[in-house]
Amino acid sequence: MTRTIAFDQRSRQQTHFTTCYMCACRCGIKVTVESNKVRFIQGNLNHPVNKGVLCAKGSAGIMKQYSAAKLKKPLKRRPGSERGTADFVEIEWDEALEILTARLSKIRSTNPTQLAFFTGRDQMQALSGLWAQQFGTPNWAAHGGFCSVNMAVAGLYTIGYSFWEFGAPDWEHAKYFLLWGVAEDHSSNPIKIGLEKLKRRGAKFVSINPIRTGYSAIADEWLPIRPGTDGLLALAIVHVLLKRGLIDWEFLIRYTNAPWLVVQTPGIAGDGLFARDAEDHPLVWDQQAQRLVNGLEPEIAPALFATVKLDDGRVAKSVLSLAAERYLDERYSPEQVAATCGVPAETITRIAYEMAHVAFNEAVELPISWTDMHGRTHDKVVGRPVAMYAMRGISAHSNGFHTCRALHLIQMLLGALEGPGNFRARAPYPRRIPMRTLPENDPAIIFAADTPLKRMPNGNPARPEDLVIDKDGRPLRIDKAYSWETPLSPHGLMHMVITNAANRDPYPIDTLLLFMANMAWNSTMNTGEVREMLVRKDDRGEYVIPFLVVVDAFHSETVNFADLVLPDTTYLERYDAISLLDRPISEPDAAADAIRHPVIALDRDVRPWQEVLVELASRLKFPAFTSADGSRKFRDYKDFIVNYEKFPGIGFLAGWRGADGESHLRGAPNPKQWEKYIENQSFFSYPWPENMRYYRFANKDYLEFAEKHALFGTPPVAVIMQMYSEPLQKFRLAGQGLYDGPQPSSPTDQERLARYFDPLPFWYEPLESARVSHDEYPLHAITQRPMMMYHSWDSQNAWLRQIISENYLYMNRGTAARLGLADFDWVWVESHHGRLRCQLKTMEGVEANTVWTWNAVGRQAGTAGLDEDASEATAGFLFNHLISELLPKGNADDRRLTNSDPVTGQAAWFDLRVKVSKCAVGETGIWPIFPMSKRLPGDTGRRPSTLRYHTEAPS
Amino acid sequence: MKPSLSIIFFTVSSGAGLGLLALLALGDLLDQALPSDALMQGIAVALALVAAGLASSVLHLAKPANAWRAFSRFRTSWLSREAVFAACLFPVALAYGVLAWTAEGGALRALAALGVALLAWAVLVSTAMIYASLKPIRQWYSAWTPVNYLLLGHWSGAVLLLGLARAHAAHERSFGWLAGVLGVAALIAKIGQWRAITAGARDAPTLERAIGVPKYPNEYSNKYANKYANEGAQPPGMTMARARLFDVGHSHGTFLTDEFGFVLARRNAVALRIAALSAGFGVPAAWIASGATNAAVAWLAAIVCLAGLLAERWLFFAEAQHTVRLYHGAPRT
Amino acid sequence: MRLGLVIDLDTCVGCHACATACKEWNASSPVSGPLSDYEPFGAEPSGVWFNRVRHYELGEYPASKTINFPMSCMHCADADCVTVCPTGASYKRDDGIVLVDQDKCMGCNLCAWACPYGARELDTASGTMKKCTLCVDRINDELLPPEERQPACVLACPTHGRFFGDFDDPASEVSRLTAERGGFGLMPELGYAPVNQYLPPREPKTVIAASDVKALLERGLASLASPVIRR
Ligand SMILES: Nc1nc2c(c(=O)[nH]1)N[C@H]1C(S)=C(S)[C@@H](COP(=O)(O)OP(=O)(O)OC[C@H]3O[C@@H](n4cnc5c(=O)[nH]c(N)nc54)[C@H](O)[C@@H]3O)O[C@H]1N2
Ligand SMILES: Nc1nc2c(c(=O)[nH]1)N[C@H]1C(S)=C(S)[C@@H](COP(=O)(O)OP(=O)(O)OC[C@H]3O[C@@H](n4cnc5c(=O)[nH]c(N)nc54)[C@H](O)[C@@H]3O)O[C@H]1N2
Ligand code: SF4
Ligand code: SF4
Ligand code: SF4
Ligand code: SF4
Ligand code: SF4
Ligand SMILES: [Mo]
Repeated sequence: MTRTIAFDQRSRQQTHFTTCYMCACRCGIKVTVESNKVRFIQGNLNHPVNKGVLCAKGSAGIMKQYSAAKLKKPLKRRPGSERGTADFVEIEWDEALEILTARLSKIRSTNPTQLAFFTGRDQMQALSGLWAQQFGTPNWAAHGGFCSVNMAVAGLYTIGYSFWEFGAPDWEHAKYFLLWGVAEDHSSNPIKIGLEKLKRRGAKFVSINPIRTGYSAIADEWLPIRPGTDGLLALAIVHVLLKRGLIDWEFLIRYTNAPWLVVQTPGIAGDGLFARDAEDHPLVWDQQAQRLVNGLEPEIAPALFATVKLDDGRVAKSVLSLAAERYLDERYSPEQVAATCGVPAETITRIAYEMAHVAFNEAVELPISWTDMHGRTHDKVVGRPVAMYAMRGISAHSNGFHTCRALHLIQMLLGALEGPGNFRARAPYPRRIPMRTLPENDPAIIFAADTPLKRMPNGNPARPEDLVIDKDGRPLRIDKAYSWETPLSPHGLMHMVITNAANRDPYPIDTLLLFMANMAWNSTMNTGEVREMLVRKDDRGEYVIPFLVVVDAFHSETVNFADLVLPDTTYLERYDAISLLDRPISEPDAAADAIRHPVIALDRDVRPWQEVLVELASRLKFPAFTSADGSRKFRDYKDFIVNYEKFPGIGFLAGWRGADGESHLRGAPNPKQWEKYIENQSFFSYPWPENMRYYRFANKDYLEFAEKHALFGTPPVAVIMQMYSEPLQKFRLAGQGLYDGPQPSSPTDQERLARYFDPLPFWYEPLESARVSHDEYPLHAITQRPMMMYHSWDSQNAWLRQIISENYLYMNRGTAARLGLADFDWVWVESHHGRLRCQLKTMEGVEANTVWTWNAVGRQAGTAGLDEDASEATAGFLFNHLISELLPKGNADDRRLTNSDPVTGQAAWFDLRVKVSKCAVGETGIWPIFPMSKRLPGDTGRRPSTLRYHTEAPS
Repeated sequence: MKPSLSIIFFTVSSGAGLGLLALLALGDLLDQALPSDALMQGIAVALALVAAGLASSVLHLAKPANAWRAFSRFRTSWLSREAVFAACLFPVALAYGVLAWTAEGGALRALAALGVALLAWAVLVSTAMIYASLKPIRQWYSAWTPVNYLLLGHWSGAVLLLGLARAHAAHERSFGWLAGVLGVAALIAKIGQWRAITAGARDAPTLERAIGVPKYPNEYSNKYANKYANEGAQPPGMTMARARLFDVGHSHGTFLTDEFGFVLARRNAVALRIAALSAGFGVPAAWIASGATNAAVAWLAAIVCLAGLLAERWLFFAEAQHTVRLYHGAPRT
Repeated sequence: MRLGLVIDLDTCVGCHACATACKEWNASSPVSGPLSDYEPFGAEPSGVWFNRVRHYELGEYPASKTINFPMSCMHCADADCVTVCPTGASYKRDDGIVLVDQDKCMGCNLCAWACPYGARELDTASGTMKKCTLCVDRINDELLPPEERQPACVLACPTHGRFFGDFDDPASEVSRLTAERGGFGLMPELGYAPVNQYLPPREPKTVIAASDVKALLERGLASLASPVIRR
């Protein structure tokens, strides 16, 4: 039986290609629009990121567009009202811009550091960073510090690219894949696409994760590791590989600093630095010539293991000798680490063997000819098809930097980097190690009125001289990034900004500008107190943070605290450039960037923030935005993107440059560039020719090409992987009082530098864990991202919140039985810092000493466009209340240290330890809860009881 | 299954009405006809009960405007058959009433009586088969369901009939016996069904079967076989890994949880069974045995009987477990 | 023709993309949209979905295995949901797709009771029963480019764990996958002959045989001396 069915009336529809923004993965989408309403959002089949697929968030984009939480107009705190009460009046954009321009202009002409501009998962950091630099404040950073800077720093200081957005596994060729601590990742769809490829090819997939959900569900093997112990597991694998000689000698000799000689003069300046020749080249011991030679030369025969006497009589050892001495120690044997990691010794050994077996016995050879850095041409590329990927399960611990380095150490030993089947770089990486960008740190420039910084506010220090501190060693930045407490913190410490500003430590600020970060809620540690800090007043009754500007598209918890709210557009309503100057969307085989353009007409009085940034920059007459005659240089954001050049020929968008639109990557501005992008489905992809695809750290053609296109910022010299990190050793020497340059005066800093700036990876217990009693707080507490929710954004999404609008505390069933707890019990969860009440659920797939919950499900009543009794507010909760931004006391002095990785400043969200106990009878309900937020002006609070979304009026 | 009041009322009310109609007509055919005024009263009461039931069943529809379409699938749908038979029953029953009033006897009246009985049975059986044909609900998918519907309908009809008979002092003995026999049969059927439900639990579908665990590689279906067998969730003889729901994929209720999610507490089940038995059978049986002729007492007995049957029907729904519950985490149905 | 889906439990990560893509497509579908949402911003949001993803655990920690389990209409060959329907609103097409004619349904729920798999959901706003249409208005829409004539859930699935095709054609991808991977229908004992097939999780991969381990060990690091390799 077949009856006729109706089809869409295609003639009434338009389709547009643009880029998704429901998360930072930035997939290509095809949007079908009917009567200015979104009919359908699907993946763009041609897009390099998602190749046609789309995740749950992307597919639910319609409900983001029709969210009840959208801001509608600029808002000003009602004069005389208290901050934080969401008591606003609507104002016009002119007034908003005037208020802000006046304020900023005054700050800029007096003390530019009084502006702190921090952005969340900002997809245009290149623009906001440029803006801050032009303003002249060092107080800028995006979300990296509270997100995954450990991965970035460990990678960029070790292999020249990194986990997170700077590299990706080679899904096409890998035969063995280890996934360390990943639930979703920024590369959300690519990982899913990749896992499928691996499984169909019969590659083995091992997931190392205390929790078995999502990706781990489909792993061939699940290793339920104890949180914070991955470094130990990785180094035990290193132990096995070294002990059995399961290492790629050639790779180590050619591409890493494993043979470089390290001076051994404990207690004397220069200890632990590389032995160098007069021209500063690192020295190695040539096994054939039997003498010291410049380690960068071709055709030498470096000894991987060597202890030699230098010409000046000092003893030096090769890096690999030092590594072997350390990791062959029984401390790192599988048997020794098993109990701490919770992974049986046999399993660790087997995994090490399996990796070695695949690497050495199942190598992939591709008939691709390429030329190495010394000009030698090879007729094939050989890959050791073991790939790894790691994210916040590694990075969100205070030992994450070293753990991540330990993973790169395994990759180096196996020769499994940048070849077929390996973890590979995404343009514009790999870069030189360390990168040459240094953060502005000259106080004279930083405090100069009306003057841009000479360098960017953020960069990659290589030695103590690069720290952003004053001559007394005090931090020059409000978040204390690049200070002795966390020297290598190139993404700042967003999680410390409010605390420091509230304590006026290191100095008071005037204006805090937050873009796209819900800092009064889920992206802050210690949420309850931070909310109090935001409204704290000093003795004179003035707010300690005098002026707070929030730029958001939706009614978030943070909006409620603003003095000025600047409403943004949604991703379907604006132009955006997803630039190669920023966080790449490139894939290993192609450099790529993308744009967004409006596909839906605006229906309210909001403006794209980038438009506002260009406007403010012009009003404030930033040099880069002002012509010689003092007039504004760029009409608007679109004009800026087309015409701004970072270096001649290098701009925000790499495709279709040149007057004729024919020059890619580098070329003169093209006035029709936006049109070109739109014509080409809103993305640009530059596939690497075969000969530039692999070993790019040592691939002559690639390196020369990259240099020519400055975009990629790599000089035509090989990137030598740094198994042993000399920059770390320099900081360590400073801590030991052996550095010929700035040195810390506080014993706490000295101790931390001496301990944590180990030039070789090592494992230590996470800092919070080491400072609290394990008897009192026996359990680890971590969070995971739900695949269909993007942080707190998606509670406003009427479809996604049906899938999850409340959360539970998940506990291993056996553990719960031991504690006398059962499903749906109300429990108290307590940390050294605070406590909360929630409901328990048991499960099998979680490590026995770990409890967890979904991240950012709880919301404050009345925000996100939700009703007062929305279950996000009545049954959802945040772990953030339990997490302190400061470590428990424990250092010699009284200073409270940041709860971050001591090397990078990465927020240590997952170091949390808790105890869980059953609530008293009658004690039920989520706690803490926050009072209902006031509705914003223009919001009646009335919501439909039934929603019947349809592009055509429902019958 | 969600005990839907409109349907519970419908099946009990129309069941009694249909039972009464069938017995009235049958009595007539077997020469046990009530006096015509009593017969008229009986038909009126029966049709009122059936009509009330049907009206209530329409309330259950989410789009009553389309109810008229329910006649269109007689060939496959028991609900359609029920509707068609019910629609035929009314004119035939009315015709029978007219004939019973006007004609003392005759072939036409007998034919009408026969028609009424057959149609009443057809409606009753159709109603029962709506439930009995639902494979996803093992508690219903059984011959016990039509047997119960038929016998319970006739039992409650017989109680009403006996009330009429006693009020009109006609055929009290034979109808008393009839009620007694039907009561015993219905009781046996009811208890039989309950026992069958309990017995069927042994090979009731499990969550493991629902998600196909036996089809998974040994690595998953056997190796991970758990040690919780003593919790009783594992069917005897199975070495399959035990499955548990981790997350149902939505935070709050859905149509499916509303419709199928109802769980009856054990305690309530026992209480309801006692109520069903004592009110549905005990009280009317006592009344039958007492031989009381008082009309008010008869009405009371009939109402208590129907109330008991409402409890029984409520249980019929509440104890039924749809296979969807497995996917929502029930270890078995 | 027997059109239906194959769902690969070996790659499904339980991301709910198929469920939301389905909701999105069908919300505005002329066949059965809109799909009502109740209290969308309220205490207990709920709504009509054609495809839901559930998550189960097998076995006991640490040897437990998590299974993500999407379910939509199986387009059963012997679909009681059709035969029980009194109005004729539910029907099965020649290509095997089971549909509900929204103009005819009276919202009696009987078909939902008859469906073992929870594939039918009543929309209380329209008063009619709704269910997966196998995206009949995509797969048959000749104005769509051929590569997009696929169900929305299949297009979206990031792990390519969903396949659409004709099970009567032994050469189709769905038939082939089902045969090769031991695909199975749910609860066949109920006799509905569900057309959709699930591919079981694969046997976990073993990487090295014992002999390989030996070979590896023989590589053993004799001394801390490196071979001569030219840089
Ligand atoms: N306990 C715990 N806490 C965590 C984490 C964890 O794992 N566990 N993860 C941490 C990590 S890695 C991160 S990155 C942070 C994320 O934390 P946040 O960056 O604060 O994340 P969101 O909740 O996404 O908030 C971003 C804000 O951006 C707004 N927004 C959305 N779209 C737009 C837009 O188009 N324009 C503008 N202007 N605003 C928009 C949203 O409304 C929201 O208020 O959370 C951190 N917090
Ligand atoms: N759907 C969705 N996607 C997102 C986001 C989102 O909110 N929702 N957020 C985006 C952002 S800002 C980020 S930073 C990325 C983060 O992406 P992920 O890194 O995947 O972030 P998390 O969800 O925090 O997952 C951390 C994982 O590490 C595990 N884990 C915790 N501690 C340890 C440990 O000590 N060892 C090991 N081996 N594992 C551990 C946890 O169980 C969890 O599975 O995701 C991005 N993508
Ligand atoms: S992963 Fe999902 S939400 Fe993120 S950009 Fe891609 S489709 Fe959008
Ligand atoms: S899955 Fe349910 S709704 Fe679909 S055809 Fe089978 S019985 Fe009918
Ligand atoms: S609810 Fe609609 S489709 Fe289902 S059986 Fe009733 S009339 Fe048929
Ligand atoms: S085939 Fe279409 S209607 Fe069916 S589940 Fe997939 S997307 Fe939904
Ligand atoms: S979209 Fe694919 S991976 Fe995600 S839940 Fe559906 S079937 Fe599974
Ligand atoms: Mo993040």
